[in-house]
Amino acid sequence: MCIDFKRFCRLLPALLLAALPAAALADGSVDSTTILRIEEDNHAGFQSKTLAPLTEFLGLDADQLGDGRLSVHLYGWGRVSLADRYDPVDGGDSSVGGALNYGFLQYRFDHANARARAGRFFISEGIVNEQVDGGSFKTDLPYGFGVSAFGGATVHTVKILGADTDGKGDAIAGGRVNYRKGGLLELGFSGVYETDAPTVSSNNFLPGTFGSHRLIGGDIWLRPFQMVQVSGHTSYNTETKGIAEHSYLVQAFPVSKLTLAASYDEQRDRSFFYSSLLFADMLRNLNQNSKAIGGMATYSLTDNVDVTADYKNYKRDVGRAERFGGEVRGNFLKNTLRTGVDYHYLRASENFAVVPVDGASGSYHAARGYVMHDTKGYFASLDLIGYFFKTRIENRNNAWETVAGLGYHLTPDLSLSGDLSYGQNPQYNDELKGLVRLTYNVKFADKGDKK
Amino acid sequence: MRRSPLISALLLLAAILSLAACAQMKALPNLPATHPEELSSGPVSCSECHEDQQKGTMKPFAAFNHSRIFVKNHRFYAATDDALCATCHKLSFCADCHTNKIEMKPSVKNGDRPDRMMPHRGDYITLHKIEGKLDPASCYRCHGRTNNERCVACHR
Repeated sequence: MCIDFKRFCRLLPALLLAALPAAALADGSVDSTTILRIEEDNHAGFQSKTLAPLTEFLGLDADQLGDGRLSVHLYGWGRVSLADRYDPVDGGDSSVGGALNYGFLQYRFDHANARARAGRFFISEGIVNEQVDGGSFKTDLPYGFGVSAFGGATVHTVKILGADTDGKGDAIAGGRVNYRKGGLLELGFSGVYETDAPTVSSNNFLPGTFGSHRLIGGDIWLRPFQMVQVSGHTSYNTETKGIAEHSYLVQAFPVSKLTLAASYDEQRDRSFFYSSLLFADMLRNLNQNSKAIGGMATYSLTDNVDVTADYKNYKRDVGRAERFGGEVRGNFLKNTLRTGVDYHYLRASENFAVVPVDGASGSYHAARGYVMHDTKGYFASLDLIGYFFKTRIENRNNAWETVAGLGYHLTPDLSLSGDLSYGQNPQYNDELKGLVRLTYNVKFADKGDKK
Repeated sequence: MRRSPLISALLLLAAILSLAACAQMKALPNLPATHPEELSSGPVSCSECHEDQQKGTMKPFAAFNHSRIFVKNHRFYAATDDALCATCHKLSFCADCHTNKIEMKPSVKNGDRPDRMMPHRGDYITLHKIEGKLDPASCYRCHGRTNNERCVACHR
């Protein structure tokens, strides 16, 4: 029964494809982006080869089906490699690849923001962030309460090499209940329960570093005054019986053009990373804690120009670091011209260096500037980004990249563009890449907008 | 088996409360499926047009102004008010980054939109060797249990 249900859940997105002809008659939209990349892979120590993957990203939204409350939503991509037979996503010797990112039926009720979904979808509820092949339901309730629930099969990813599994159980369920006091407070309690994690045959993993994915947690939104707002959550791992994460943000709005923010993040590694086979393998010492305290301020100089400054202090058992900097962003000519510059410096001890030896450093400067102009006829962009290392990495003291793009709106719905990028970095002496992009975005509805 | 009068009374009370709650559901407002006016490209400030409290989320519109702080911390908002996000954003907008398998860096797919905040611009292959030690939780949020095909190529 369980296996049949899981098979059904996995087949459902494919079945939704059969509904597309009917969807074509409904309100909705089609988003297609076709990208041909051409790159010369000249990785140090490896034979040079040309890569030419052709990728199609396709999204379909068909609204107001049936009685007007039913809709279908699909998004995925497919790739064919024109010059080689390597699949960079799933690995292996294959010239084709693809994924269904989501595909579900949604029924939207007339009241209480109630909705039901069936198929493959992404769940973001309180401390829960999961992709599921199954069903979900969410609704507001009287007196400020709300409830959501989901269940189905997990969406598996690639197997961790040496473990013959991706580390996920086969079924997952969870949900959230919440209470809202209008304009003042929201409290939420959420949880996720995944069936037992697979037994890992590899001996690469330390005992007690990996297990089933089961979390509960609480979240809060509080605005006691118009000038102050608090958001955040705390999660608890019921398997390790320990706090996994605290993550909180306090914002203040002293005047209309100024926003101040302070953040506090703390992760306890064993509980936070416990259900990730990848991280259990990578982090050899999972008894560390991570703490980060930050501050940020954004001020609108004019209606078109924003200035932001930020600071963050990191503390891990292996060392400390701090990052600070700022950025200026502007929109001009009725938002058709956008530009920005930013600079940050990471001051990090030698323990964070790529190779943590005496005299090494993890510190680096990061600088970026961009400009883009989007008219009814053409659009163009230029993006420059550079990283400047305090101590050399692979015998280089910097990594930089410049990307230039130019495109034309052939019709209001159809655009053709191309990007050319060139850079130098510790990985490549010269990195030259190009792509051609054909974008087709069309709406069949006569009101509203989504982007 | 004889059911106690107390349990019967409680069941009756629960049924009455459920019916009363269901009757009140019709009084609860729905968020619009789409924003009624076409929005310009780029970050928006809801409070430019709305001064009151958003009825569906029961929060002030100003709380959703897309400042840099909002964009950098949008996870808090998406985790509680995804229905409001959906009035202006298609799910594919989110799926550029939040998905099970990513074909290319979002900044490459959207190379014509340098104004959008995208992760891993430039040579992040080198930087991740520093950032991954500094703040592994920031990697975990996207790559811990999904979307880690490229990670496992080296991290075995």
